[in-house]
Amino acid sequence: MERLDERAGVDEQVRRILRERAESLAQAESEEHAVETRGLLLFRLGEETYAVGVESVREIVNGFSVTRIPCVPAHVLGVINVRGEIVSVIDLAAVLNVGSSAGRSREEEEGSGIIVRSEDVTAMLVVDEIGDIIDVPMASVEPPLSALDRAHAEMVSGTVYQNGQLVAIVNLARILQPIGEAA
Amino acid sequence: MVDFDRSAFIHKFQEEAAEYLQRLNEGVITLEGDPKNRELIDQMLRDAHTLKGSSRMVGLLEISDIAHRLEDIMVKVRDGEMAYDPSMSDAFFEALDAIVFLKDNAGKDIAGQLDVPALLDRLAAVAGGSHEEEPPGDATAVPSPEAHAEPQPTNPAPGSPATTAPEPPPAAAAEEPQPAPAAPAERAAGTDQQHVEEKLQARVQQTVRIRTEQVDRLLNLVSEVVISQIKAEQHARDLRGAQALATDLYQAWRRVSAAIAFEQQSGLAAVSDDLAIIDEMVGELRTRMTQMLKEYSEEVSRASTVVGDLQEHSMAIRMLPVSTVFNAFPRAVRDLARQFKKEVDLIIEGGDTELDKKVLEEINDPLIHIMRNAVDHGIEPLQRRRELGKPEKGTIRLAARQEGDHIVIEISDDGAGIDPAAVKAAAVRKGYITESEAKSMSDREATYLIFEAGFSTSPIITEISGRGVGMDVVREFIVDKLKGSLDVESRPGEGTTFRLTIPLTLAIIRALLVRVSGQLFAIPTASIEETLRIDPAEVIKAEGREVIRRQRRTIPLVHLRDVLGLPVDEDTEPGKLPVVTIGFSGHRMGFLVDAFVGEQQIVIKTLGSHLKHVDNVAGVTILGAGEVVPILNVPDLMANARRMTGRSSGRTHVKPEKEQGPRTVLICEDSFTTRELERSIFEAAGYVVQTATDGAAGLTKLREGLKVDAVVTDVQMPNMTGFELTRAIKSDDALKEIPVIIVTSLEREEEKAEGIEAGADAYITKSVFNQDTLLDTVERLIR
Repeated sequence: MERLDERAGVDEQVRRILRERAESLAQAESEEHAVETRGLLLFRLGEETYAVGVESVREIVNGFSVTRIPCVPAHVLGVINVRGEIVSVIDLAAVLNVGSSAGRSREEEEGSGIIVRSEDVTAMLVVDEIGDIIDVPMASVEPPLSALDRAHAEMVSGTVYQNGQLVAIVNLARILQPIGEAA
Repeated sequence: MVDFDRSAFIHKFQEEAAEYLQRLNEGVITLEGDPKNRELIDQMLRDAHTLKGSSRMVGLLEISDIAHRLEDIMVKVRDGEMAYDPSMSDAFFEALDAIVFLKDNAGKDIAGQLDVPALLDRLAAVAGGSHEEEPPGDATAVPSPEAHAEPQPTNPAPGSPATTAPEPPPAAAAEEPQPAPAAPAERAAGTDQQHVEEKLQARVQQTVRIRTEQVDRLLNLVSEVVISQIKAEQHARDLRGAQALATDLYQAWRRVSAAIAFEQQSGLAAVSDDLAIIDEMVGELRTRMTQMLKEYSEEVSRASTVVGDLQEHSMAIRMLPVSTVFNAFPRAVRDLARQFKKEVDLIIEGGDTELDKKVLEEINDPLIHIMRNAVDHGIEPLQRRRELGKPEKGTIRLAARQEGDHIVIEISDDGAGIDPAAVKAAAVRKGYITESEAKSMSDREATYLIFEAGFSTSPIITEISGRGVGMDVVREFIVDKLKGSLDVESRPGEGTTFRLTIPLTLAIIRALLVRVSGQLFAIPTASIEETLRIDPAEVIKAEGREVIRRQRRTIPLVHLRDVLGLPVDEDTEPGKLPVVTIGFSGHRMGFLVDAFVGEQQIVIKTLGSHLKHVDNVAGVTILGAGEVVPILNVPDLMANARRMTGRSSGRTHVKPEKEQGPRTVLICEDSFTTRELERSIFEAAGYVVQTATDGAAGLTKLREGLKVDAVVTDVQMPNMTGFELTRAIKSDDALKEIPVIIVTSLEREEEKAEGIEAGADAYITKSVFNQDTLLDTVERLIR
């Protein structure tokens, strides 16, 4: 009853404005619900473009020097010192079997690296060039191409079209599996 | 009162009192549940008495008075004049907290923060409790003669409850320099709340509980600071170099400018202004550099002291007495003794030696293994001890002590000792060493064979026992995880002593830095026996391996780069070869490196969250310049090096493999399917396989001169069973060295016993049979 009284007291114009605003807000909200997006960090590896989910990216490193560690799998280049923290360095090109121009020389200072983390593993992926961060609709992420060979497919969690290019999202859960855990 | 400097003594008192207070606090709790504990009552009385005396000595009279009242109460409890009642605990705790507060604030002006007289009254009330008619005078309250000797202040404290607080302070307080005369009435009103606050305050000051992760994180940061400090010291040295350069420049310039001044007339006047400026600048540069160097060096050396202290103190945070682990052992040893039907006394020494918490956590298991070993194999059965004229009860001594930056833990028993001959025989039988190696091996070396992986003097290998999981685990823990060393000393008939030497802390160790294939590696110094530079001519090539002779012992040599799988570095200079010899549980091995770089303290870090375990690498360290250096894992290195130099598969060396040729096994099995299955398993593993359809046929083949490295036999076969075959082989001098592996579906204990009795080396039941078990067992026996 009180409310009705109040409403009666409100100026007609004000009410219209309020209604319009409420409608537009509701619309915006429903749009947000409809299009869930995912942030991706793009990077170049050889001739191809790949991506990692931004939620897994901790930092980007430009210029580093890798300490080789003997007796590790070939795709582990070694470790680096990030402000006192030891982070292992993964040769993503070797993991994905991509012919990367930089090759082994990437052990040296010039390379770019993306420090990524999963629940309990942190490592750096060596890439040829860091690209943009993009938001893509969740719905546009497709499963990995069936044409990929199995070993490769395992390393990719999905693909997405970006500027007419097919971008593979690397499967960090797989790539960041700890090495040498109680074999 | 003669005024002498009490501060030093007060500090001592504070330390001492902390201990008594801790014990009294614990005592109150225990007494609550066990109010008639005479021993405890006596101890609490002593503690209160000591507190009273020593606080008086350093002039903390308030503490003395409070302790005095506690003593009064305890005397009455002791003499049975009153029973300890849990309701008294509050007063006790209040008193103890007050002492803590007074002690911690000794020498500070805390007048008015604590109402000591009121507290004394309350304590007097407690002491008066059931005997209100007795005035709590000195004569009854302090019966100990010592107390009489002291000038006791008389305490005419009324035996009435706290309502009397507003009365003038008692004589004891009046004697104090600061009798705190602040409005007593007001104070009484706020007493309760005030005391609660004081209590809280006192608690907070004494200890803080911290999660270990937080301490670890702190230590991690401290090690970063240490590294920065090392860097700063390096910078100071660099700066010194730059300063020397500036001085040289200055002097050179002086000479040049003198020459120029001399040549002034020759037209250089045009630039003379500039020359003057340069002259000034060079001088200024030198002065500034010198000044900067001086200040920086001082700063660095000051910081260096602070960082050293910081490191030491933060490490100390994580130190705990070994008794936290040792205290569980009397019970464990008693249980073990019962289990093995023996009687054993355990003597523990040095329980207060402190060790890093992390180390303590790791040390429990190895100690239990050694204890178990001592009770099982060391201490003889009662009967035997009686025969030997030893006391029936065996003794195990567990002692810890600190030696420099290491902790030494010794476990000794007065048992039978390790019989080198028995160990050698078992080692030869199991194929760890050859007969001739056994002959040339000293007793001391032989003793170390017990640490060999899979070693056991147990007569047979089965799925569950005799695989020798035990002492090798101990070795792994001590050497691999704790970066320590493990020694064993044994006198037959007198006993065995295991000596564990463990670094005080896991975070920092000394290490030798070496260069291999252009890269630096750190080797924990604890494992290094010596570093040598040998003449290439000293290297003896024998049976395709390289060895050197040192002190009448032969040491196998390997290139560290081969063990680590690194490429050859072309830049190595010809000349003497740097060799690191590592001693590891009785074995020695020489590792050739490209260069020695130096020895230093290093901070150990893990390989990060991604690389959980890497063969040969225990972790990394960060050097002053920020350079990351892998720390090598000595047990892995030794295992891999031993594999390479020889006796086993030796894939990396071509020669030994060729000489030995493929191994041959004889399979005796009547079932065609099983026979062919086993054949395919062995052939796939590179063996040459001979078969026989029953025991008799197999024995005939062997007697006819068939050379085999092992016999794998079924039990139930026509003509001759596997047991009979085994017995025949083991009783034939020409054949008895051949290992016999029984593979059978029989798995009752009696059958296993029969297998042992027949002399079989291994017994594998078909129900758990798989190719890995089979191959693994055979390889173990014939290497």
